[in-house]
Amino acid sequence: MGITLRLAWRNIWRHPRRTLLTLSAIAFAAAILVFMVTLQLSSYDAMIDYTLRVHHGHLQVQPEGYLHKPQIRNTIPDARALGSHVRQLTGLSAVSVRAMGFALASSRARSYGIQVIGVETEYEGKVSTIPGLVKKGRFLSSDDAQEAVMGHVLARNLKLNVGEELTLLGTGRDGSVAATVVPVVGIFESGSAQLDRHLVQLPLGTFQDVFSMGDHAHAIVVLGDSLEEVEELTDAVRFGLPAGSPLVALSWEALIPGLKQAIQMDWASGWFLYLSLIIIVTFSILNTFLMSVLERTREFGIMLALGARPGRIGLLVMLESIWLTLLGLAVGVVIGTVVVFYFHIHGFSYPGMEELAAYYNLPAVIKLALSPLSLTLGPTVILLVTCAAALYPALRIRLLKPVDAMRGV
Amino acid sequence: MSYKFTYRCAALVLYVCATVQPCCADEAADLVKAAINYWRDVSSYSVVDMTIHRPKWERTMTLRVWTRGEKESLVRVIAPAKDAGNGTLLVDNKMWTFSPKINRIIKIPSSMMYQSWMGSDFSNNDVARADDLVYLYTHRLIGTGTREGRKVFVVEAIPFDSAPVVWGKEVIKIRDDYVLLEHAFYDQDMVLVKKLVALEIKQMGGKEIATVERMQKMDNPDEWTQILVKEAGFGINIPANTFTRSNLRNPRQ
Repeated sequence: MGITLRLAWRNIWRHPRRTLLTLSAIAFAAAILVFMVTLQLSSYDAMIDYTLRVHHGHLQVQPEGYLHKPQIRNTIPDARALGSHVRQLTGLSAVSVRAMGFALASSRARSYGIQVIGVETEYEGKVSTIPGLVKKGRFLSSDDAQEAVMGHVLARNLKLNVGEELTLLGTGRDGSVAATVVPVVGIFESGSAQLDRHLVQLPLGTFQDVFSMGDHAHAIVVLGDSLEEVEELTDAVRFGLPAGSPLVALSWEALIPGLKQAIQMDWASGWFLYLSLIIIVTFSILNTFLMSVLERTREFGIMLALGARPGRIGLLVMLESIWLTLLGLAVGVVIGTVVVFYFHIHGFSYPGMEELAAYYNLPAVIKLALSPLSLTLGPTVILLVTCAAALYPALRIRLLKPVDAMRGV
Repeated sequence: MSYKFTYRCAALVLYVCATVQPCCADEAADLVKAAINYWRDVSSYSVVDMTIHRPKWERTMTLRVWTRGEKESLVRVIAPAKDAGNGTLLVDNKMWTFSPKINRIIKIPSSMMYQSWMGSDFSNNDVARADDLVYLYTHRLIGTGTREGRKVFVVEAIPFDSAPVVWGKEVIKIRDDYVLLEHAFYDQDMVLVKKLVALEIKQMGGKEIATVERMQKMDNPDEWTQILVKEAGFGINIPANTFTRSNLRNPRQ
């Protein structure tokens, strides 16, 4: 084995120029893949995290069945107490209680069907960026204040401004008519079309009063420190819930499955591009290998005549291709990692991204994350595909007859 | 020449097909119209209990209802006390609601017309647009039967393509004296979604009417809304100013 390995190493340097060309093709492909895969994965994480920070949080405790059929009667009793319990349990202060309902919102000019959410004013700012995105006026002041904040598209549609009165009409928990008139104290621009168009927030106490909720609510929203910890955190909250209560702890993947699906779709379509790149590179490598086998027919003939088994020569050819690929990948990964590391420190941005980022509520620069997965995923796929490609020249050797081969070109 | 000829033939065939109505369409349409007219009369006043039933919960409201002609109705809640004074006014398929808590009249936008009316299994549209069934649908008599010795007609109503209706079809059972026995709503895949059934028919206000009716969602048999008519009068004189927004806000009756 040792001598075959050394032989393979020497063989690939018999044509230094050809080897270097192939090598640079592999290195280039590997470097591009390392960079692109890292960029893609990092922007997904950033996108998910920023989307969740706007409103949904990393996980929520909800009454069982509420997610699929949000009925106002399906509630969490004594929700504020459970909120404090979850706060203690997780050691996080970013835990906020919400009560939700649907209502007809109207101004003097118009009416629209909207979602009304009652929020704990003290904690809402820790789980959601909306309180910080109030562009006109201010956020809700206290849990029992008679006031509302709303999305800027809704405010425009209702022709309402800060200081004017908003009328809400809906159905309370006991089926009674829930109605109130409150002044608008703030208008937010969250960047999410859905929220900006359909959301009105009231202080939790006011909501509970208007919608005859008592001390009940519908969700306890938790925001952890990072996306990676969500699963652990969800389990911790799940086990900490009072035994026998019909409550569930749902991570963001359950709360907004569309987000995960959109990302999976984008990831899959990204791989079409990567696979084309890998296939093109593979063909150029295959070309090199095939050349080196075909031009060495005589040499292989002599080796066979001297008693080398076809399997050994096949192994030799395989090892040559593996050497070449590994060398190329090593160079590529180093270059790719250096580039990624640069953007890890300085953040990645391209022209026009700031506007786009502001629209989708993303940060204007993406800090690339150095993760073993994103650095090795692309190169591993290249290695597997080229190994498979190298099988063909290696297997051809089995067809050689020593005498004919020695007389060959 | 032959192309043109074929084209004309096709046009003629299409024209004939389009103008020939299926058998008995007029009769069926007249039946539906008569049933709706019988139900609304020239005018009516009634007091009803509306019970909303859910698996773990039930609630009853008492309502007073006035109607005049095809286009005007007014509903006012008188019990429970918490909701007393809330009202709904319908004029020309437009709907307004009033709540004393906020002392304001709100017009229900058309986008909300398929939402539930006062938390019940009736949509705002069910309350507002009963006579759409006459004007926006094609009708076909699909069967007859007998119930308690009286003839019952079964009419299938399919909305015009252009009609602003969410249903795929509606099937109405009408007794020979025009009392509506059953009204079933099918979605656009022709799956039965909900059904309004007359559970009791009695003499009241001078004629036979359905005094107990239940709206039942098909996907959950334990969810329904029932209307119990306690008092009714028909063809009575109702002042024209009953159906105005000022009367909705400040009751004169």
